[in-house]
Amino acid sequence: MNQFNELLLAVFLLSCLMLAISSRLLHCIRYAALQGIVLGILPLTLAQGHFEGSLVMALVNLLVKGIGLPLLICRAMHKAGINRELEPIAGYTVSALTVMLAALASFWFAGKLTLPAGASEAAGFAVPVAFTTVLTGLFIVIARKKALTQIIGFLIFENGITLFGAAVMREHPVIVELGILLDVLVLVFIMGIAINQINREFSHIDSDRLNQLDDISENTEVVK
Amino acid sequence: MIILAILLMPLISALAVYLLKKDAFSRIVPVFAGAVNAVLCGLLAYMPETLHLTGTLSLKVDRNGFLILAITDMLFLLTSLHLYSWQKEDAKKSTGHQGMKYSSFAALLLLFFFTMTLTALVQDFGMLWVAVEATTLASAPLINFHRGKGSLEAMWKYLLICSIGIGVALFGTMLLAASLNDPHAGLGFTQVKMLAKSNCDIIWFKLGFVLCFAGYALKMGLAPFHTWLPDAHSEAPAPVSALLSGSLLNCALLAILRLLDTVPPELSGFAAGNLKFLGFFSLAVAAFFIIHQKDFKRMLAYSSVEHMGLIILFMAYGIANAGMVHVMTHSLTKMALFLVAGNILLSYGTRSVDQVRGLFDRLPRNGALWIFGLLLICGTPPSPLFFTEISLVWRAGYFEGAVILLLLLIIFCGMAARMLKMTAPAGEKPALDRETDKLAKVPFGAMTLITLLGIFIGAAWIINGVQK
Repeated sequence: MNQFNELLLAVFLLSCLMLAISSRLLHCIRYAALQGIVLGILPLTLAQGHFEGSLVMALVNLLVKGIGLPLLICRAMHKAGINRELEPIAGYTVSALTVMLAALASFWFAGKLTLPAGASEAAGFAVPVAFTTVLTGLFIVIARKKALTQIIGFLIFENGITLFGAAVMREHPVIVELGILLDVLVLVFIMGIAINQINREFSHIDSDRLNQLDDISENTEVVK
Repeated sequence: MIILAILLMPLISALAVYLLKKDAFSRIVPVFAGAVNAVLCGLLAYMPETLHLTGTLSLKVDRNGFLILAITDMLFLLTSLHLYSWQKEDAKKSTGHQGMKYSSFAALLLLFFFTMTLTALVQDFGMLWVAVEATTLASAPLINFHRGKGSLEAMWKYLLICSIGIGVALFGTMLLAASLNDPHAGLGFTQVKMLAKSNCDIIWFKLGFVLCFAGYALKMGLAPFHTWLPDAHSEAPAPVSALLSGSLLNCALLAILRLLDTVPPELSGFAAGNLKFLGFFSLAVAAFFIIHQKDFKRMLAYSSVEHMGLIILFMAYGIANAGMVHVMTHSLTKMALFLVAGNILLSYGTRSVDQVRGLFDRLPRNGALWIFGLLLICGTPPSPLFFTEISLVWRAGYFEGAVILLLLLIIFCGMAARMLKMTAPAGEKPALDRETDKLAKVPFGAMTLITLLGIFIGAAWIINGVQK
C-alpha cells in the first residue's frame, strides 16, 4: 500500500512539472484533472485500511476536482477560443527549473519540520509534495499571462492545500469540506463568466494588458 | 430560532427577488430584509442562543461577532434605504443601461448580506474560511454592475487576488490544525485556543498563524496586500462601495480577531510585531497615495486602507475597546461618504477631482455633507475618531505616536485639499441638480448618528476626567 501511495504522490509531483512546461491549455487542464482524481483516491489509500472519513466525501471530491472543475475550465476555453499560452512571462525552461527548485526547497524545508501527531506514514513524502504543488500553483498564476492559465494555477494551488490536508489526516466536518468545494466550484464558475466578458469587451484575455486602473493616470472615462 | 431566521431572511428574499424580476420589488425587498434582520439582531442581544449544527459545529454570537453583526445589519439597512431612491436616479441617468438587471443586482446584494451575516456567526476556523471566501464570491459580480472596461478589470483583479489570498488563509488554517497535537480535535475557536495553550507544536502554529494572518489581512485591505482594494472600491456602484468599505472589511477584521484570540502567550509578542508592521505600512501607503490622488472614489478607498491600518494598530497596542468604537465609526462615516461620492458621480458623470467644481451650487446638501464627512473621517471633534485616535497616540508612546500623528496629518491635508477643491466655485455657476441632491437623506442620517455618538463619548470622557 505504501508503494502505491508513493506512486500516486510521484504522479502528483510529475504533473506539477508537466504543468510548468506545457503551453497547450488543454494539456494543462488534463494535468489538473489528473491531480483531482489522485486527490479523490489518496485519502482512502493513505489511511491504510483505517479510513474513518466518509466514502461519499471522497467520491464528491473526485467528481468535483477530477471532472467538474476541468470541464468548467474547458468550456470557458472553448468560448474564449484560445488554446495556447504563446508568450508566457517566464519561459518554459525557466518554469521547469523554478518548479524543480521549488521541489528541492520544499523537501529541504519539510525535512526540518517534525510531522504532527496523527499524520499518516506517507506524510513524510506527501507534505513536501503538497508544498511543491502550492508553490507551482502560485508560480503559474504569476508567470502566465492568459486569465485562463491563471485559473488553472489557482486550481493547482488549491489541490496542493487539499493534499496537505489529506496528508496530515485532519478530517474536517463534512459541512466544511462541502463548503470549501462549493466555494471553489462557484469561484471557477464566476471566473469562467468573467473571462467570457473580458474576451467580449477587450477581445483578448491577457491579464497583463488589464492595466487601465492605476493611481497616476487620470481616469476620465465617464462612468455612472 | 433567531439565528436561523437571521440567516434565512436574506436567502429567501434573494430568491424571491431573483424569481419575480420586478424592478419595484427589487427596490423594496432589501429594505424589508435589512429592517427585519436589524430587529432580529437586536433581539439576539437580549436572548443569546446557540444553533447546533452537526458534531462540534455551531453558530452563535459572542461579543466581537455581535458587534460586527450589528454594524453589518445597520449598514445594510441604511444602504438599502439609499438604494431605494438611488436605483431610480441611476436608471434615469444611464440611458441604454447595458449592465446587470436590477433584480439580479438586488438578489446578489442580499446574498452578499447573507455571507457577511454568516461570517459574524460562525464559531469554527473551517466555516470561517468558507464564509469569508463566500463574501468574495457574492460581491465580485456586484462590482461589475455597469459592465464597463474598468469595472471588469477591477472585478477580475478582486476575484483573483482575493481568492489567492484567502487560499493562503486556508493553507494557514490547515497548518493550524496540524499544529494541534490531537488528530481528532475540531477547529472551533475555543477548542483551538485551549489546545494552542496546552498542547501544540509551536513551529507549525507559527507557520499557520503567519499564513492565516496574511490571507485575512489581504482581504482586509492592509498594505502591502491592498492592491485590489482601490480598484474594486472605486469601480463598484455607490451602494456596493459603501458596503464593501463599511462592512466587508470588518468581516475580515473579525477573522483576524478570532485568530489573535487563539495565539498562545509565547507568540503574542511575535503577533503584535506582525500587526504593527502591517498597521504602520498601511498608514504610510495610504498617506503616500492620498496626497497625489486624482480620483475622489479612489481617495476614499485609500482612506479605508488608512483606517484598517489604524484598527490593526489598536489591536497591536492592546486597546481593543477603543478599536471597536473606531471600527463602528469608520463603517458609518465611510458608508455615508461613499454614498455622497456616488451622488456626485451621478450628477457630474466623472470621478476626476479636477472635473468637479461648484459642488455647493449644483448639489448644496451633498456638498455640505461632503465637507462635514471630511471632518468626521479625519477625526476632528466631535467625531468619535478623535477620541479613539487620541487614545491610540497616547498608548503608542513618543516615537510611534509621533509617526502616527504625522501620517494622519498628511492624510488630512491630502483629503482636505481634494475635497475642498471640488467645492470651489466653477467658472460659470452650474445649475442646481435637485433630483440627485435629494439622495442626501441617508448620509445625513448616518452622519447625525456619528456626531451624536461623538458628543456622547466626549461628554462621558469629560465627566470621567472630572470625577478622577
